[in-house]
Amino acid sequence: MPEISEVPELDPKIMRKTKPGLKRLFLTHSVLFSFLLGFPFLWKSVEIYRSPLPFREIDSLSTHLRSNTLLFPLHFHAIFIGFDSDADRLRYSILSEISKLTSQNLKCFNNYSLSVTVDSGSRCLRAPITSPHSCPYQCGSITAIDFDPVDDVAVDERLGSVFGRKIKEYSVVVVKGENERAVVGKYRHAWMVVGGGMEVEMAAMKVAEVLVKVFVNGGREEGSIRTEFMPVGADGNIVLSFNLLNADPRDWVYDWDFQKIDETLLAPMIGALGPVANISVESQVLYHTPKASFSYWNQKLESHVFSTKDLPFFVNSNEWHLDTSIAAGGRSKILQFVVYVPSAKECPLLLQLPNGEISKTNGFISPMWGGVMVWNPQSCLKNSENKTTARHAIPLQDLENMFEVFIGQFRQLFGFRSVNVYAGGSGIWNLVPSERGFTEWELDVLSRQHTCFNLHSCATTLASLSRLVQSLPRMIIMDEIGKQVKYSLEAAKLAQSNASIGGYGFSTTSSRQARSLAEDAFFHPSIMSVSYYSFEHCFAVYSPFFLPVSMHVVLAALRELKRYKQEKAKYLAWKAKANASS
Amino acid sequence: MTLLQRPLLVLLLLVTHHLLQCWIAFGSVDEEGQKQEEFNEELLLKPLPDRKVLAHFHFQSSAPPSTSNGRHHHLFPKAISQLVQKFRVKEMELSFTQGRWNYERWGGFDPIASSNAKPPGVELWAVFDVPQHQVDASWKNLTHALSGLFCASINFLESTSTYSAPEWSFPPSSGNLRYGTLPREAVCTENLTPWLKLLPCRDKAGLAVLLDRPSIYRGFYHSQRLHLTSTGSGSKGTDSGIILNQALTVVLQPIQPNGLRASMDHASEKHIQPSWSLSSIFGKQVRGRCVLAKSSKVYLQLDRGLVAELKRIHKENEKSVANGLTSENFWSYPSFELSANPDRIVIEENSLHSKSSSILYNFQVEKYSESEPLDLGLTWKIPVVWLCQSAPLHSSRFLMGSGNERGAIAISLKSTQLREGFMGAFADNERCELRVDVFQVVPWYVKVYFHSLQVFIDQQPKAVSDVIEKIHVSPSKDKVSPGMMEMVLKLPCRVKSAALTIEFDKGFLHIDEYPPDANQGFDIPSAIISFPNFHASMFFLEDGSVNKSPLLSKFQEKSPVMSYTEVLLVPLTTPDFSMPYNVITITCTVFALYFGSLLNVLRRRIAEEERFLKDKATKKTGQLPLLLSKLSAKLRGRPWEPPHSPPSTSFFISSKLVFKVILVAGLAVGWQYYFS
Repeated sequence: MPEISEVPELDPKIMRKTKPGLKRLFLTHSVLFSFLLGFPFLWKSVEIYRSPLPFREIDSLSTHLRSNTLLFPLHFHAIFIGFDSDADRLRYSILSEISKLTSQNLKCFNNYSLSVTVDSGSRCLRAPITSPHSCPYQCGSITAIDFDPVDDVAVDERLGSVFGRKIKEYSVVVVKGENERAVVGKYRHAWMVVGGGMEVEMAAMKVAEVLVKVFVNGGREEGSIRTEFMPVGADGNIVLSFNLLNADPRDWVYDWDFQKIDETLLAPMIGALGPVANISVESQVLYHTPKASFSYWNQKLESHVFSTKDLPFFVNSNEWHLDTSIAAGGRSKILQFVVYVPSAKECPLLLQLPNGEISKTNGFISPMWGGVMVWNPQSCLKNSENKTTARHAIPLQDLENMFEVFIGQFRQLFGFRSVNVYAGGSGIWNLVPSERGFTEWELDVLSRQHTCFNLHSCATTLASLSRLVQSLPRMIIMDEIGKQVKYSLEAAKLAQSNASIGGYGFSTTSSRQARSLAEDAFFHPSIMSVSYYSFEHCFAVYSPFFLPVSMHVVLAALRELKRYKQEKAKYLAWKAKANASS
Repeated sequence: MTLLQRPLLVLLLLVTHHLLQCWIAFGSVDEEGQKQEEFNEELLLKPLPDRKVLAHFHFQSSAPPSTSNGRHHHLFPKAISQLVQKFRVKEMELSFTQGRWNYERWGGFDPIASSNAKPPGVELWAVFDVPQHQVDASWKNLTHALSGLFCASINFLESTSTYSAPEWSFPPSSGNLRYGTLPREAVCTENLTPWLKLLPCRDKAGLAVLLDRPSIYRGFYHSQRLHLTSTGSGSKGTDSGIILNQALTVVLQPIQPNGLRASMDHASEKHIQPSWSLSSIFGKQVRGRCVLAKSSKVYLQLDRGLVAELKRIHKENEKSVANGLTSENFWSYPSFELSANPDRIVIEENSLHSKSSSILYNFQVEKYSESEPLDLGLTWKIPVVWLCQSAPLHSSRFLMGSGNERGAIAISLKSTQLREGFMGAFADNERCELRVDVFQVVPWYVKVYFHSLQVFIDQQPKAVSDVIEKIHVSPSKDKVSPGMMEMVLKLPCRVKSAALTIEFDKGFLHIDEYPPDANQGFDIPSAIISFPNFHASMFFLEDGSVNKSPLLSKFQEKSPVMSYTEVLLVPLTTPDFSMPYNVITITCTVFALYFGSLLNVLRRRIAEEERFLKDKATKKTGQLPLLLSKLSAKLRGRPWEPPHSPPSTSFFISSKLVFKVILVAGLAVGWQYYFS
């Protein structure tokens, strides 16, 4: 059988004659691929709803606020009456002083322009000659005679009528006269009566100081109350809650007519602060509310004395149930103002300052909480002799004094001075108080600061929201949050553009809106739902199916592939052999 | 003309008077200006027939109509006023109760039992002064505000499946009423403290000093209520005044001093009522009034049954001893002794349907002070047994049926013997009818079949239409609203017992809807049974002092007799809460098995395997592979082909198998040893 011997030896272990079949390979791989194709669908089906948030815009807002400081245009105007010097030179010296003073500035910078007018009676020099904005001052409309050395208010009104009360320009008038005097009015101007011997440079320095320290910074000292402490709620509301505390009504009971005080004293102030915050006022009288700290009898003063180091313990949070207000919304700020009427056994109760003096106001503030004032009844005589414990009224005069102190405390909570004197580096300025509690320039300071604070707070809130959202990919984000973020960004943009054209009221209002919307988005109740649908849950539900099945499918596919390769190698070997033999 | 002028003049005088008052002496409250906020405190003590003492504290604060309500307050709690202003509440009542009022022993006919006995847990109802479509929103906000104010989970009443809107059966019927209860709410000091905060003196002075937490929570029944009515139209322009009534009712067991008990002989000790004093039941004494209260009074009430009994004893004494007691000095307490002298005695006007009238001893707290506290005590000299007047019908409610599928609710009304007394005049009349209102709310998972309502009178089934005069049913919607049933029953006066039964199916809840302790069961809130023909009010002789007392004027108010039934506990089927995961796991395993075997079958090459097997069979044969191949052949339905060659290496293979088995066993033993 020679032919048979020619045919190569067919060993089934190393070679085969037929081509290996593709059926099973195709089948297992199609199953594998259909599984792989199914994965995106599954992923889609377990996906949770996330409203798209404008992350890029949020980032750009915060970087914008961080790098390009917020610009408020400020127009300064210095008027020198009765001087005879070069306006341009004065302007440069004032500008250099201003830049010296504003070197260390904060988040919000102001873009200022300065114009100087020198009115020597006969001549009228202006620098720069073409002022960018219309200067309402006509040379010669104020003379040195207008400056009454006694009646500051009259001078203030006179200047107010000359400069116009609505014009957003800060003017300083420097006049030569006998009695040296420096006063800041309640509108947007200040005046200075300087002696004949005073140099112009000295006056320029003082002018620069009043412009920067008073008109721009609000006359506050460095490090008194930090500007971050804005006592305004996240929704732009403040509730002023006034409480009259009768420590022990068995000794005496005092009552007040708060309604009238509200109408006469508080309403103008609240109206003035309208752009900064919505303020509402409440009052109540509480009884049986002893203080939590001790006081001791001082023989020399013939009164009970408590010192400043007792102040942290004065407020008795167990017994003083100064409730939060139901009328106020969720994130309003409540400022508590407390009048404490001591009981008979601690009756003339006085606050001793660290230097040993007795406090004139007999009160103190606690930043972001409110203020406390101790009011002692006229005579500390217990009326236990006559059993009828009548309710006394606090005399109207005392009540007015009390509310002056409270307005001072309120100003302090906003970071302003409670005394009407500003002692700068170059001299003392008297400040003319406003009957509304806050002067025009103070309100400007407040609006600027508030806008700046709100925008920064809005930016940080949104930035932390975006960080949170990006770090938790399984978090549900409702459409409402997306909308709130969008509106908040729009309001922030509007506030920025309003600020750059000097619209204080509008920019404050829209910045407040931006902040409250950002806070609403951040504290939206639906954000809590993250914990109920976690990745772990998903894994626990799907792994009992996918783990065993994928093992089967992948192993089958791999085995088939391996086998196919093996068989193909066998076939190829046979083919090679066959070729070689033939 | 003069007639016209005079009122004008008076008005002018009044106006100027007020103006003057405002300008010169604002806040001088002592003058009886009607514009002032007021506060009154009162305490009523009453011995109960079952050797217990009822103490009912009543505090009333009122704010006159003013524009500054909700903003400026002197005495009235600001929080409540703001609540009323914000949610436009016309009337509201909130009660926190622990324990159940014992209608049989403690009475069901007097104003305290009728309007102050409340179902266990929290009950809240409110009438709003807002348009119909805003009522639900106002209710939801109100529940949240109240739950914050009183540290309670009242906010659970927010969901629509927990509250209902009764139309006419609940007494202050009005379209804008919402009613909800939380029978399982636990009541404790954290609810009492905010309640006390609403009082100007809190528990620092006045009668509230007595509220010593350990002693009042040790009692048998404890109910704190807050009821407010806003007077005036309340529409936007005008202002409304608010009257806030806060009441705390406790039933306490006086502790018998040991010395006293020892001195008594056993026979009389059994019947004699325990003597008590304020300091023995509360552990405190009244040390003067709250200085801000306009009036501060303590009353001791002897109810009608007790007075009748005392009178009877007195008459007997008169007959036997004949010591000449006249009817005037009958009330100089021959049978008991008071530790303080009452300032006044108020006697109830004899009402129509009772034999006797109750007596109130009034003590003015003004007279007592720190050095001379009021420690009112009552010492019994002779044993007295009496019964409190109960409601015409005693109501109770219970569940019937067993199992987790269906059941029935039954309300049974039993006539009380006392009824004959005050029904006497009409009882003979055949057409005399007794009206009973029933108000019942059932949660949606108790699916009530209203057609299955059955009525039994004196154990005889009656046609529903004969007995029920009026019925209003709002069926429950699953997970949306509870079922509510309002009924007016007309029962014959001579009825001995009546019963209503209604069947229900138990529903299934979603796994998320089960409360934390689901196996305890689910509560069906109390039903309210009221008797509009009977009024639980007391009339007093028209007297200035009575009108001035808010408590007594509250007693004089005409309100129908009401009683609450028990809370029912329905066991529902509770699932195994890990079940969803178990189901998922087992389904997935089955699927995985299916997929695996399917793939294996598809991949199978039968011809090749057979060849392979044949090859193998030539090499080895053990007993086990032989059996296996036999079995597989049988399963495949093919004739078994015995292996061709006899085993040659069987010993070697079996030794390999034995080695494997030993290895596995060793591993298992090692595992066991290591982990134990």
